[in-house]
Amino acid sequence: MDEFLNITQQLLTGFGENCFLFIITLVSAIPLGLIISMGSMSRFVPLKAVTKTFVWIIRGTPLMLQLFVVFYVPPLMSDGEFVFSRMNAAIVAFIINYAAYFSEIFRGGIEAVPKGQYEAGQVLGMTKTQIFFKVILMQVIKRITAPVGNEVITLVKDTSLASVIAIPEILMNAKDFSMEGLIWPLFYSAVFFLLFCGVLTILFSFLEKKLNYYKG
Amino acid sequence: MKNFKRLTALVMAGVMSAAVMTACSTDKSKTTDTKDSSSDWSYIADKGEFVIGITYFEPMNYKGEDGKLTGFETEFAEKVCAKLGVTPKFQKIDWDSKEVELKSKTIDCIWNGMTINDERKKNMDISTPYMENKQVMVAKKDVAESIKTADDMKGKTVVAEKKSAGEEVAQGEDFFKSATYISVDSQAKSLLEVKSGTADVAVIDYVMSIGSLREGSDYSDLAVVESQGFAPEQYGIALRKDSPETLKKLNEAIQAVADDGDLDKIADKYNLKDLLLVKGK
Repeated sequence: MDEFLNITQQLLTGFGENCFLFIITLVSAIPLGLIISMGSMSRFVPLKAVTKTFVWIIRGTPLMLQLFVVFYVPPLMSDGEFVFSRMNAAIVAFIINYAAYFSEIFRGGIEAVPKGQYEAGQVLGMTKTQIFFKVILMQVIKRITAPVGNEVITLVKDTSLASVIAIPEILMNAKDFSMEGLIWPLFYSAVFFLLFCGVLTILFSFLEKKLNYYKG
Repeated sequence: MKNFKRLTALVMAGVMSAAVMTACSTDKSKTTDTKDSSSDWSYIADKGEFVIGITYFEPMNYKGEDGKLTGFETEFAEKVCAKLGVTPKFQKIDWDSKEVELKSKTIDCIWNGMTINDERKKNMDISTPYMENKQVMVAKKDVAESIKTADDMKGKTVVAEKKSAGEEVAQGEDFFKSATYISVDSQAKSLLEVKSGTADVAVIDYVMSIGSLREGSDYSDLAVVESQGFAPEQYGIALRKDSPETLKKLNEAIQAVADDGDLDKIADKYNLKDLLLVKGK
């Protein structure tokens, strides 16, 4: 029993790293993703091209590789002069990666709003900014709740990828136990992910219900 | 609409350049002036900290009952660093990335029961061999007893860690000619393969087998195949390529710790005394 509590505690410490990475990534990647989606819908062609290329590169390469690039390339290029801390490197890589995915979800959501909604706003004499924030945005949020929820749940599990740059997250801790001859902590770590994702699932279905005020 | 788009364009450009800037300028405080003092040793001495790349594995580096890092390599490194006049900092790494870690100076040495081989000698500076190691076969107890000659390997699946000394043995030795070989990403996983029955025999470090097969571990139903041992090899500490001064100081410090009798004492504590290669005067 002592062993069980001790291992639970150590896995929990590791899961703290996962949660930290998860929260920071989520709160930064969503606004950044919105900005990027604006870029990829821009009528200013160079900006649109740059943004599209950026999204293509980020979505087209494995997150694991991006982690390596962010953590190892700066010190390799500068002979050890510029180094991110491991966690900062992971945060940067995750934010950029998830912002790219979110931006595409947002773009889809924004483009799915019928033109008539913009025209209605114009008829009422609203400015473009007013139309976006007062008429369009809520409709977008409604449409993208499910895909965003999907992405958020993927993020929870993706945080364990941070172990490739030796962040002592839960799976890495669990693997250490198997080095000492204990296998079950590796499988036990699933419980932590399941609980966390369970809470998120409930949260998102609640959110969807709340937003289900008008079927359109 | 145009104004709004233009504003977004500006913000976008700002965010992107900010991202690039931070990517280039983070954590300057940690770096020391490597430009004037080009040698590896002055880089380490200046920061006063010797960052040791490790993975957790018993009995070399592992978390003790009290949650503190302990083990043969841990205590050995602490003594050596005291002689060198630097503070040891143990940094857990992903073993697969150890060469990149060393090169990018996120660690200063790899000191974790690393077997010396030609490939590593070519890419890194390696210390005096301080301990002997051999590769052993581990199998379920009944299987382990049944393996006597190379013929007994027919139809068996052998597993070892990718790029490890165990892999060299499993692929190079005639003994394994009739067996199928698969590789996994860690020694621990190769034991898991045997335990779960997806492989029959794992080739791992003898030192690792001491820690993993102990009584009360999940692997206690596995055993070392006694009938067969493979060519002994040696453990060394890896430093960045072309750092003769660090290498010289490190070797001297290792000898000094041995001369004090401390190395013997530490090895004795972890039952590794027979394997020691550096003897005190």
